[in-house]
Amino acid sequence: MSTFKTTWHHIRRSPFQSLTAMLVMVFSFLVISVFIVVNYGLSGVLSYFETKPEITLFIKDGLDSQTVDNIQKDLASYQDIKEIKYISKDKALEIYKQENKDNPMLTEMVTASILPASFEVTVSDPNTLEQIYQNYAAKNDVIDEVIYQKDIINSLLDWTNIIRRTGVAVTLIIAFISFFTVFIIIGMKITNRKEEIRISRLLGASHLYVKKPFLLEGLFYGVFGSFVGSVLTFSFIIIFRQSINSFFQPVEFISYDTLFYALVLISEVFLGAFIGLLASWIGAKRYIKF
Amino acid sequence: MKIVFDNVDKSFGIIHALKDISFKVDQGDFVFIVGHSGAGKSTILKLILNQLKPTSGQILIDGIDISTGSKEQINQIRRKIGVIFQDYQLIFDKSVEENIALILDIVSYPKEKIQERIDEVINQVGLENRRFLFPSQLSGGELQRAALARSLAIEPEVILADEPTGNLDPENSWNLVKLLKDINQKNKTSIIMTTHNYEIVEALGKRKIEIVNGEIKKDSNKTPKKIIYSSKKHEHV
Repeated sequence: MSTFKTTWHHIRRSPFQSLTAMLVMVFSFLVISVFIVVNYGLSGVLSYFETKPEITLFIKDGLDSQTVDNIQKDLASYQDIKEIKYISKDKALEIYKQENKDNPMLTEMVTASILPASFEVTVSDPNTLEQIYQNYAAKNDVIDEVIYQKDIINSLLDWTNIIRRTGVAVTLIIAFISFFTVFIIIGMKITNRKEEIRISRLLGASHLYVKKPFLLEGLFYGVFGSFVGSVLTFSFIIIFRQSINSFFQPVEFISYDTLFYALVLISEVFLGAFIGLLASWIGAKRYIKF
Repeated sequence: MKIVFDNVDKSFGIIHALKDISFKVDQGDFVFIVGHSGAGKSTILKLILNQLKPTSGQILIDGIDISTGSKEQINQIRRKIGVIFQDYQLIFDKSVEENIALILDIVSYPKEKIQERIDEVINQVGLENRRFLFPSQLSGGELQRAALARSLAIEPEVILADEPTGNLDPENSWNLVKLLKDINQKNKTSIIMTTHNYEIVEALGKRKIEIVNGEIKKDSNKTPKKIIYSSKKHEHV
């Protein structure tokens, strides 16, 4: 009788225990997959803001080119300036149209004249950012508005860190619960089959021979649970991807990259297999004493 | 397979189950171990299977001291022994056929020949119509034959039969013993059978080791020349 057949026999003979192990594994990997996808989305949001200019100075309409040049020269005189980008009214219109290309209603009514020109400044030292903000926030004659993204990034970073840490903690707790569930269920199955194990040992079966079906059973719960949990999560995400992404526009919160999902699926199946195998191995070691 | 008990003692706490047991079984021997209930007959078989370990003395099987042998050596020895347990010890949720298949799988019998071998032994013990039934669906005699089929399947060097006629009617008892005798003669398989059915023992005229209160009272095979494993206590036998 092959090990596979014996394992299948064990699963079939105590269906509720087997179902419990599988459901716990599926639920665990469903939650783990959600955290991985959310974490990926948050990283996207964060990097979107991080790659944006750190301070934007909207200049007043009607300034002559000499004044605009003077502002640019003044900005360039600060230390640790990485980049100064002048966005003219026409360029601003172009960006606006690009960002709202799916919504013609919004682009039809807008012309270059109503959009302000601006300077986008990126620095390498946050202190310089603070100096620029202090100096230009008060120059109401040439500056219309100053948008300083430091607070947004910091706040986003804080939230991202909290969610990441929560994700890691929840993943560890869930992995631990899955481990213990499989461990206990394998232990119960071994106890139920202790007579069979004892007889097999008396007939000359090696320790590995009697352990193998239980190891394979733990492996099955891990692989099945992680695969189904991940696939279920990805299916839901793919169904609602468009709605979620349009909410986070222009950031692509839910990835369209198939390779990303394939890699996550493979990693989770390996993790599931590891948890299942380890739990059943320790369970078999703990409970098979013949 | 050669089995040697050399001054073996076995105690369970304050109970001295076996005292100074010494005997030898060679390949092809047919030995009855007789005695009343609780005399220590089953303990001897359990010691051979290494299900129990002796308190003192040595048990050598093919020269290997099974008390100190490695796990793999013990497994190898067990794979050469067919056992008919007093309470059958069939796996309750496997059919007769699956119980036989299990032991064939344990001894790594060639997969393509397993079904053929199952058919052979099932025919040999006359359980053709019961092969797909579970132990709970069989009568006492059928259970005993199923246990015998399982022990025969591996073509063992030794069969240990623990009170195999204990739960059988006289006719089935005789049939079973006749079958064991045939196997012993045809295959040179050693048989060690415990029983308190003196009628069968006397009728077969095979070697008889009589146990009383954990001690060998009489070994019909022993002549003064052969007493090489016995303790001084038994030399008068």
